[in-house]
Amino acid sequence: MDGHSILLVEDNPDDQILTVRALKDASATSPVIVLEDGQEAVDFLFNNSKERPGRHLESLGVVLLDVKLPKVSGLEVLRHIRSSPLTDWLPVIIMTSSDEPADLAEAYRLGANSFVTKPINYREFAEQMTVLARYWLFVNKIPKAGTIGSLIR
Amino acid sequence: MNRLWRHWRLKTKLLFLTLFTSTLGISLVCISLIVVENQNYRSQLESELHVIAGIVAEQSAAALVFEDTKQLADIIESLRQIKSIRQVCAYNASGDIMAALESQKRRPCPDMADEHEEGFVGNAYRLLMPINLDNESVGQIFLTSHLGVLQSHIRTFVIITVTIGSVILLALVFLALRLQRIVSEPILQLSDTAEQITRDHDYSVRAPVSGNDEIGKLGENFNEMIGTIEQQNLRILESRDSLERIVDARTADLSLANRELESFSYSVSHDLRQPLRAIEGFGQALEEDCNDQLDATGKDYLRRIRAASIRMGGLIDGLLILSRLSRQSMESEAIDLTGLVQEIVDELSNTDDIVPTTVEIQPGMRVVGDSRMLRIAFQNLLENAWKYSAKTEARHITVTACRDDDEGFTAIRVQDNGVGFDMRYVDKLFVAFNRLHAPSEFTGTGIGLATVFRVIRRHHGDISATSEPGKGACFIVKLPDHPNGY
Repeated sequence: MDGHSILLVEDNPDDQILTVRALKDASATSPVIVLEDGQEAVDFLFNNSKERPGRHLESLGVVLLDVKLPKVSGLEVLRHIRSSPLTDWLPVIIMTSSDEPADLAEAYRLGANSFVTKPINYREFAEQMTVLARYWLFVNKIPKAGTIGSLIR
Repeated sequence: MNRLWRHWRLKTKLLFLTLFTSTLGISLVCISLIVVENQNYRSQLESELHVIAGIVAEQSAAALVFEDTKQLADIIESLRQIKSIRQVCAYNASGDIMAALESQKRRPCPDMADEHEEGFVGNAYRLLMPINLDNESVGQIFLTSHLGVLQSHIRTFVIITVTIGSVILLALVFLALRLQRIVSEPILQLSDTAEQITRDHDYSVRAPVSGNDEIGKLGENFNEMIGTIEQQNLRILESRDSLERIVDARTADLSLANRELESFSYSVSHDLRQPLRAIEGFGQALEEDCNDQLDATGKDYLRRIRAASIRMGGLIDGLLILSRLSRQSMESEAIDLTGLVQEIVDELSNTDDIVPTTVEIQPGMRVVGDSRMLRIAFQNLLENAWKYSAKTEARHITVTACRDDDEGFTAIRVQDNGVGFDMRYVDKLFVAFNRLHAPSEFTGTGIGLATVFRVIRRHHGDISATSEPGKGACFIVKLPDHPNGY
């Protein structure tokens, strides 16, 4: 399990720094890929995979998606991930500043694995990130990207 | 009779009146005719008898003077042919009976010495006539006639009169039946029209109007009245339509405003919290990563920055809950309030708190309302009771309820033994951002009771509070049985 990377899609630079910092506290060994908007995330997941499918995917362990993203929203990215057999197995955690009930319901309807509200208190936030990273990277099992792809084809 | 009369139809009444008056009139006419005829016939009989008696007296005068009883008897006997004469007696001057005609032996000629009743006596007519010759009384003649002929004549007359009367009456009834329609028909038509309008609420119907009499005018006035009602109805419908249009427009405006408010509060919750999280997060990072470069004052400032951002986060959260409470739709269900309060108290008991606490919750409390909203309201009330009694030696909280069946609501009391408040400031209690205690005494955002107030008002209920500084506070929540207001 060790060596799986984390994909973080977050537009706010402050949040990027703080989230990466909290994740490093939880697991220093897992690389964190940071993308700034929804379009970048879609390109990262699908464009590359056309040439060499699963190049990035194979190393991914979990996706952390902010709800509010420029260009393509976090929930849109989630919809893309769930609609392709290449990516639909990926664990996706929706992160948000607000606990808007409509977002919560929509996220689970689209197939999110988890939904968390980022607390203002950093200590609480860091604890939350530790729990999440430990669970999704070390406790939870995921299928190999390649196996899924070949099974489909 | 009066009640029966009121229930009759107009036709029947008219017919009854016609019948009654005609019967009365015809009867009166018949009776008068009979009386007059009776009178006439009697006087005719009387004069006939006088004539007969006069003739007999004249014929028998000579026979009486000469005491020729045989001739006298012949004269008297000749009267036997007149059927109505029952008895004839002839007396001489000294009152002895000289000759007699007696139909019945039982009625002998009366003695002249006796007094005689003349005229109509019982079933007979009696007549006593003196017999004169050359202006000198020579005797008397007594004549009795029975009234059988009179009676049979009157009987026949009565039968004829009554028959004619009845025939006239029948003809009158027939005529009345025909003629009363002229009067009653327009009234009946008017009544039918009124009934139809009442039944169908169709105000376009008009009563047929004929003639210029009172009934015609009544019909015209009735139609005019219905016309007015029809126009007023039309106007009411028009104004209702325009009201509906206004309401629709207002509703559209409102839902637009609501959507704007929703997107506003979404932005508030997302965009205001993000910088706060950055302030707090980097403060923490600074404290952890650059700890050795900060002196005590720097660390104190940093702590204050972080505390302020966390407090502001609390304010934003409170405001969001408050704004959501006003927007979200309200459910109405039966709620086990005792269970709900117990859950909240259990959560509060888990917090770090060393004050010995007794909480009394009345068992079996039930209310009707939105469970999520009421949980928020009672959470706030109990948190307050908990918080403001934190400085007592032993915390004591009671939650009780009592029903008012007449007014249809349940009153719930939340009583604590905390610091309480001054009743002078009770007006500020339920207003957002108004606090009665300094932050250094008790922490808080000033939104909690405003939230409770909003929840209770959305249930069409009421909340009040009583307190005295140092003697605890008591909050009374009144929740109606029908929180949706019906």
